Amino acid sequence: MKPVYLSGRGLACALGQDVGTALDVLRRDGVPPSHISLPGMLGGNFPYYAIHSQQSDWNERARELVQRVAAEAGAQQASSGALFIATSSFDIGAVEQGAAKADYRAFAEKIASWLDWSGPVYVISTACTSSLNALIAAQALLDAGEVTEALVLGVELDNRLTLGGFAALQLLSTGNSKPFGATRDGLVLGEAVAALRLSARPAAGWTMLGGANVVDGSQPTGASASAVVSMYQRALEASGLAAEAIDLIKVQAAGSPGNDAVEAQGLREAFQVVPALVSLKAAIGHTMGASGAAEIVLLTACLEQDVWPKYTDETDAALGVALAAAAPGKARRVLATILGFGGSHASVVLERT
Amino acid sequence: MKTFAVTGRCIAAPPPDDWRESLTQMLGAKPRRIGTWAELGLYGALRCMADAGEKTLPPDAQIWLGSRRGTYAATDTVLDQLREDLPMPLAFLQTQPSQLLAMLAAKMDWKGHACFVAGTDPGALLRLAAAQAGNGGILLGWLDEMAGGETNWLRLRPSAEAGASFVAAAPDMLFSPQISHVRLDKLELKARLLA
Repeated sequence: MKPVYLSGRGLACALGQDVGTALDVLRRDGVPPSHISLPGMLGGNFPYYAIHSQQSDWNERARELVQRVAAEAGAQQASSGALFIATSSFDIGAVEQGAAKADYRAFAEKIASWLDWSGPVYVISTACTSSLNALIAAQALLDAGEVTEALVLGVELDNRLTLGGFAALQLLSTGNSKPFGATRDGLVLGEAVAALRLSARPAAGWTMLGGANVVDGSQPTGASASAVVSMYQRALEASGLAAEAIDLIKVQAAGSPGNDAVEAQGLREAFQVVPALVSLKAAIGHTMGASGAAEIVLLTACLEQDVWPKYTDETDAALGVALAAAAPGKARRVLATILGFGGSHASVVLERT
Repeated sequence: MKTFAVTGRCIAAPPPDDWRESLTQMLGAKPRRIGTWAELGLYGALRCMADAGEKTLPPDAQIWLGSRRGTYAATDTVLDQLREDLPMPLAFLQTQPSQLLAMLAAKMDWKGHACFVAGTDPGALLRLAAAQAGNGGILLGWLDEMAGGETNWLRLRPSAEAGASFVAAAPDMLFSPQISHVRLDKLELKARLLA
């Protein structure tokens, strides 16, 4: 498959509502999460990386954020191309407010209308890997020559269904997100709207070489090490690279006691020498269906501007892997990975040109 | 231009009255802890695979699933539960359409690329699938539980079938039992009818 070019990007997350602000805040050690209260015996107060906003109307808030992020990515230059909306929660927050019905097509049409989008619209929903699967699908459509531009838009905004569901599954931390941490005790969720504009036309900066998604149904809510290994092998094969060519891996490492260990095992098995590792979960939380796009936007900007997330928690030595304390000297080829519900394991390869 | 032969199909819109019994038979046990939407999906997919004479997919095959309303019934249930308490964990999992892909992969003891596309039409779903499909082909499904339900699946294998016998087809025709081959010619969906 031919590479595609990253020709624009935009991001709204807990760190800020544009890439520059997010980088500045991350450079100054980031922001603490806010908290959200959930009912019931397993409920309580949970940390949550919310996007700061005064707007309480879900639809209006989503419209403002989507338009802002899409504009930052230069979406108007791609609006006759393919729009890939990536989400696990759609507009369920609006449904909870009585301001929408659970209707996929209406959701897609709403987002498209906010962007004056004239090209085809696809909604990819594979839980936390939605954005990476959208990127893989977009690359394939560009490669097939069906479109010359595409926008991948990750949308994951406040709703009680997702938070309540993760709490019910006892997957949430009541403290901090501790990627690969010795005292990690669960995920901290967050909001994000993120956009990656892809083009078949060469552009300076970053190129997406390929990617792979491996579904393994043996663990409905978790990862499997063999699927992690298969995912890396397939992503490298799709990109025409050997494992040794990778300089940096953005891992999932969401702070889950079980999943972090499985991911570390997969890394050790897939790479004779594990490359430098980075996680962005402690900076913006796990933003689920938007996480793939949000973390690629943030990571590529970090590498360009020499900003690096700080990890204050002790690493779990038993994992046999550790996050890099500083950006590697050269990080030309980068793997970006997300592991998610539904046994979905996805990774894409980016190259800095 | 990509052409696929239909090597297996399950067209059930609506499914037969005894579809739950058939599913139990195919699974070897009554399905537990999954919602109606996923049960319908498993029924159609496994019927389609049986029709194709395959127990599992090749590693480079792909599963593509689309739906207009997806897991809306499960979502309604969880929203009701959330009014006073956290939802039941399994009920929450049932709101995620991609859980069906994991269940299907587990049932077939298969690992590979699988993707759920929400709210589009079957033709657009095929277009996305065809752009990524390899030699192992596609298991393509269309699934909804409203209005009596529908669970339509095709097992598609790459085909070198040539000739001028392909005719333009509307997206809804994709699941016609009369079609032997489908072809994507730029943005146009074409079909070849059974002789």
